[in-house]
Amino acid sequence: MIHNRIKRSLLLAALACCMSAPLAATELVVWHAYRGAEKEAFQAVVDQFSKQSDGITVKTLAVPYDAYADKITAAVPRGKGPDVFIFAQDRLGGWIEAGNTVEPIDFYVDDEMRARFLDRTLDALTYRDIVYGLPLNFKCIALIYNKKMIDAPPKTSSELVALAKKHTNAAAGQYGLAYSYSDFFFHAALMNGFGGGVFAPGPKPTLNRAENVKSIELILKWYKQDGIVPAEPSTALITSLFNKGKAAMIFNGPWFLGEIDSSIDYALAPLPTLDEAGGTPMKPWMTIEGVYVSAPSKNKDEAFDLVNYLTSLEAGKVMALQGRQLPANKAVYAIDEVKKDPVMQAFVAQSKVAVPMPNLAEMSMFWSPATTAMNTIIRGTATPKAALDKAQVQVEKAVAKLRKQ
Amino acid sequence: MHISHNIIRVTLGLFVGGLISAFLGYWFAEGALREKVAETRMRQGTIRAMALADLVHAEQSRTEKDKQTPGALIQFWQQRHQDIDAVRVMRLSGARLLASSFSDDLENGTPPRRLKRSEKAIYDMGQLLRANVDTNREEGNPREPEVMGGELANGRLRVAVPWFTAKSPDKAAGFVQLEISPTIQTKDPAFQPVLVLALVPALLFFFGSLILGRVVKLEHPESVVWSSMTTAVLLLIFGLLGFGNYYLIDLGQENVRFQQELAELYTATRTSAEEGAAEFNLDYQIGFSNDWDVNEFRQPLRFISFDGELYIGVGTAQDSVANRLGMAFFACSLLAVALLVFFGLGGAARLWRTIVDYREAYVYTLPAMIGMLVLVFFPFSYGIALSFTDQTLYNTEKPLLDIWAGLSNYIEIIGDFNLIQTTEAGWSFNYENFYWTLFITVAWTVVNVTIGVSVGLVLALLLNNKNLKFKAVYRGLLILPWAVPSYVTALIWKGMFNREFGPINHTLGILGLEPIAWFDSVFTSFLTGITVNGWLSFPFMMVICLGGLQSISADMYEAARLDGANRWQQFRYITLPSLKPTLIPAIILSVVWTFNMFNVIYLVSGGQPGGSNEILITKAYKLAFQDYRYGYSAAYSTVIFMILLIYGVFQTKVSRAMESNS
Repeated sequence: MIHNRIKRSLLLAALACCMSAPLAATELVVWHAYRGAEKEAFQAVVDQFSKQSDGITVKTLAVPYDAYADKITAAVPRGKGPDVFIFAQDRLGGWIEAGNTVEPIDFYVDDEMRARFLDRTLDALTYRDIVYGLPLNFKCIALIYNKKMIDAPPKTSSELVALAKKHTNAAAGQYGLAYSYSDFFFHAALMNGFGGGVFAPGPKPTLNRAENVKSIELILKWYKQDGIVPAEPSTALITSLFNKGKAAMIFNGPWFLGEIDSSIDYALAPLPTLDEAGGTPMKPWMTIEGVYVSAPSKNKDEAFDLVNYLTSLEAGKVMALQGRQLPANKAVYAIDEVKKDPVMQAFVAQSKVAVPMPNLAEMSMFWSPATTAMNTIIRGTATPKAALDKAQVQVEKAVAKLRKQ
Repeated sequence: MHISHNIIRVTLGLFVGGLISAFLGYWFAEGALREKVAETRMRQGTIRAMALADLVHAEQSRTEKDKQTPGALIQFWQQRHQDIDAVRVMRLSGARLLASSFSDDLENGTPPRRLKRSEKAIYDMGQLLRANVDTNREEGNPREPEVMGGELANGRLRVAVPWFTAKSPDKAAGFVQLEISPTIQTKDPAFQPVLVLALVPALLFFFGSLILGRVVKLEHPESVVWSSMTTAVLLLIFGLLGFGNYYLIDLGQENVRFQQELAELYTATRTSAEEGAAEFNLDYQIGFSNDWDVNEFRQPLRFISFDGELYIGVGTAQDSVANRLGMAFFACSLLAVALLVFFGLGGAARLWRTIVDYREAYVYTLPAMIGMLVLVFFPFSYGIALSFTDQTLYNTEKPLLDIWAGLSNYIEIIGDFNLIQTTEAGWSFNYENFYWTLFITVAWTVVNVTIGVSVGLVLALLLNNKNLKFKAVYRGLLILPWAVPSYVTALIWKGMFNREFGPINHTLGILGLEPIAWFDSVFTSFLTGITVNGWLSFPFMMVICLGGLQSISADMYEAARLDGANRWQQFRYITLPSLKPTLIPAIILSVVWTFNMFNVIYLVSGGQPGGSNEILITKAYKLAFQDYRYGYSAAYSTVIFMILLIYGVFQTKVSRAMESNS
């Protein structure tokens, strides 16, 4: 009875709120981790939304990236978080399993909205067939080459090896190709190209499948037989090689462009196809920044309106041109100014074959064993099959212990 | 008439122990009954909903031209079952509300229709049920609820179950939701046993001992204390046994009554489902098993047979609710006996006197005690409780008792002796094993403390030289590593050990040596940690030693010199013994710090290669935040605590022995 009365009065209060909305504005809080130009562009978009929508003001909070994920994990389920937040898909699975963090928005997403985004970007924000966020920006690696050394980027892996061999002089510390091949994030391009993967179906680890072994054998061939890639390819080494003109081609993502020395004349192209895998393209992992409505938010409808606006063409245009980001809204790439931008066009071409990195919580258990496996393989202390088998057992164990009740 | 203190104490103990355990016991008994009632009410709703879901399944699986909306069906269902207040059938495909008698839904428009934007919660629930069914099927191990519902504030209950179509029999097509006023109502258990337990043993004891005191005069007051204590304990135990059995039997009887009511309800539901199938001309046959009485994972409970008979043994079978109540009673009994002993042997009286005598002191320390309670003891006990559960990322919302795992975490940690792995390639250490990590941790602690103490002592001796100029400058410089935040130092050192760009490998290169991949082998990776921690820890030891050295009187050295002692003898017989009182506490502290030195390991080597250089504390962190096994990680932390506790006790004994020797 009492509860009923409270409910009713709450309803009345809610009604009153709706009626007096123009007076008492709804305030939405958005958390993000942008800095510099990206932050300014994002702020501009948010301001535009506040101006357009009656009675909604949006407050943004830039959280330092290091503390960002933990802050969401700790604050949001207890109702102390924002209404809307932005994060890449890698933590999504964990947040959904933990509960009361990310609001499912599947209901709002119709076919028209689905068609708005680049292929597969929405998949990254879909968990157990429920859409939990809309894709804002994507990132993936592509081929970056030194124009002084390479005239035409290779289209196939055979061309890549031939071209790289021509530019390799190991004695002088010069390599035709350089990328962090021992890092699984980069290796995923080859792995997915062979049709491999790390989890399927669902959270079942499949680290040691035959396709993955084949893909590692290929990189071993490039390293040992062809000798076109340097040993111990750390990110710092790759930066320095490319900036000194000692690496003709590298595989890297948009975050790397800012580190390229002004003296280097570079261009981008999609990664080549793999002759060894019957001509399928290399398929790098793509990370997608999703915009989510937080589950405890009191203004979910308005929050979704903001999410919707942030992923619209209008917002995407600002973020692409002013923030130099790669919006997941595909209409952005038809705008004249973006069309003329070779960098963006290269990444969007690459995204057409890229695969979203899995959003499972179990990914955190995969990295450490996978890195160890890669290191032992590259060092030559274990065969690819043996090292992957070992990693598989470790990941399987960790997953089984987590999933058991 | 004189009544001895002893009798008053024991009587008071019986009364307090009985009263507190009786109230606690009643609270548990009431909770157990309420849980049983809630379970039964849920089962009532579930049977009705599951049966309707079967009819909806049959109705929706008809060929396209015969298909109608289930509006008439739910009307029929509601008419046949007086307990049902409202029904809702939704289909995920097209986000459609097929039929509904919920007043909120009707206000938004007559079904069948598409769900409105304000009805997102209905759609989300359908999606969640669908996803839960998929997850449980894929993982082959149910962990997500497939029957959802709960009590409403107005005494009603809501239950939602998925329905399926013949075309895709394991993919939920939508859900059927009922709002129901279950026939079984909550009722409180009888309160009289509480009064009986609180009063009867105390009164019996009091008057009994008065009468006995008249009749028998015992010579030895000592034996009086013990005999009256034993009598009191026995009285209390009898009281507790009676009390516990009363509520357990009551719960068992209620349980049987609930099962009988459910069986009747099931039979009635079955009849109306048959009639419904006939009336709506549905192609539906009720099977020869009761698939409607299910748990939250839609697994049949098998208490009631398909024709409504109770299975034999339902009445006597112990169920989890009764088991848990029994455990709770046992805990209450222990508490009661403990209270009785505490009061009876005079502990309570002494405590009370202390509190009264030193009341100012207690008032002054109260804020600190509260602070300790909230900030130290609560998290600590929570951690210990967590270590007995199976908590992982996936079940954080469940109460700890539901995921209780007993000692299994500890057994897994301490009982795992697979230290060595053999593969085709040969044998290797299993770096995941607890004993390997323990070995590394102990080695790490011993080596680090040794280095810290010896380097600190040597530097202190050098700085203590009276003829040294610019002493303050050197001292300042040597203390610097201590002043820089340790994580900054750790990151700088990590950079120094970098394979290609690190200054250390550059130096090796200049000397004509091969660069070393520091983090690739167990030993070199261990060395990096030792180096960094040595760098961080020597200033503290140096400062301690320096202080100790300066407090040694110069007369002693002078006397030694006059007696003809050389420098080594002076150091051995004067300096070291005089330093001991300052050095030993510093070493004890330093062992504990180093044992749990998280920063250096985590930031420098990260436990590379392959987790072999992990120490216990970084391992516990990884278990919690990389593997998401919170319960297991808590057990790991508790083991670390136990190791340090044992070390602490041992260390105190040793240093006390040394003190008494000197």
